Amino acid sequence: MSRTAPLAITIATGDSRPIVRQIIDAIRRQISTGDLSVGDKLPSVRGLAQQLAINPNTVSKSYAQLTAEGWLESRAGLGLFVAARRDQLSAAERERRLGEAVDRFVGEVIAIRYPADEAVAAVADAFDALTLVRSA
Amino acid sequence: MSGLAIETRGLTRRHGRKHALDNLDLALPRGGIHAIVGANGAGKSTLFRILLGFLSPSGGEVFVLGRPSAALTPDDRRRIGFVNEEHTLPGWATVAAVLAMQRRLYADRWDARAFDTVIASFDLSPAQRIGQLSRGERAGFNLALALGQAPELLILDEPTLGLDVVARRRLLDALIEGASAEDRTVIYCSHQIEEVERLADTLVVLERGSLRNFSAPDDFRERITQWVANVPFKGPPPDAMPGLLQHRKIDGVHHYMMLDAEPGFADFLRGHGATSVQTMPVPLDRAVDAFLTRNHAGPAA
Repeated sequence: MSRTAPLAITIATGDSRPIVRQIIDAIRRQISTGDLSVGDKLPSVRGLAQQLAINPNTVSKSYAQLTAEGWLESRAGLGLFVAARRDQLSAAERERRLGEAVDRFVGEVIAIRYPADEAVAAVADAFDALTLVRSA
Repeated sequence: MSGLAIETRGLTRRHGRKHALDNLDLALPRGGIHAIVGANGAGKSTLFRILLGFLSPSGGEVFVLGRPSAALTPDDRRRIGFVNEEHTLPGWATVAAVLAMQRRLYADRWDARAFDTVIASFDLSPAQRIGQLSRGERAGFNLALALGQAPELLILDEPTLGLDVVARRRLLDALIEGASAEDRTVIYCSHQIEEVERLADTLVVLERGSLRNFSAPDDFRERITQWVANVPFKGPPPDAMPGLLQHRKIDGVHHYMMLDAEPGFADFLRGHGATSVQTMPVPLDRAVDAFLTRNHAGPAA
């Protein structure tokens, strides 16, 4: 019998993101950073609702969306587990994420007053380095 | 059996010439936590008193668990739990005596596990008199008694009013635990939007005795958006902006809170000379506040 992985997340009321969204974001981040690994068992709906002092239906909604997106999988009678990575994002979502990443990057570059063409070249170099490692 | 826990049709209650409830149509399905919010005097407490049969309507119909509220039988009432904001219990009685009475009244349906779970987080001894308990302890005891009664319908009128942080958190935990029982409907009113955000499946907004919103809290929040626009000079006249909830001018920049803003709203502002327009979502407490204060006169722009 697998044990439940501790889920160290917090939610904030008064945030402009709904609580459902905050839970989804936090779990996705933990999976991406490796704090949660493939096969880890998530807390029960009731357990996470108690932990965060929120309505269990809110937890259910978050879990349902993460399952639909392929981040989590349910095993009959056992609970919810972190699923093996697949290509989980739609084309539109990937495009949106790329836009966000670019915005963050551009913001940083502007903050340190770096010329745009040099910044672009540095990005290209970074990707080249990745390709070299991979083909080596 | 009706699928509704509460239904009101054209419910009206007048206090003198003032309408505490004005033609209220409300249909709350069975199951889940329904939060009722509204400014003071919006009619929440009047509604609760009518639901419980303490007060009769001036007009309209009210059904509680499928039966007219004026015709509730003693057996119907046993299925309804009520926790009021003052947590009124006889001050001279001991904790043990009140508990024994409640157990006797609800012997056929008493849920000892529910009572024990709640009471365990409040440090009470049976010999204490109610009058010696703190407000938080009384609130916990009161909620435990109501949950022990295994009610199908639990009505709470501002249960966390005046509680400290610790007692409030314990009460919320108990409420979340208690509300998850099968086929239980919780109707809850509060001014604490933070609690509503944590607890509620549906958000009911009352204003001057009428229903203004009935939806999931997140759907309500999505209807309201904040706009920040740099408009030299005066900006568009407020009466040309349907859905305007609030307008403030801070350091020469216009801030608008909009209800159901139209897709072309940014262009509308630009058409009135805005040089920059930004929009952002708002937290639930801001959304409720903007919605409830929209008819109050603010400082002139």
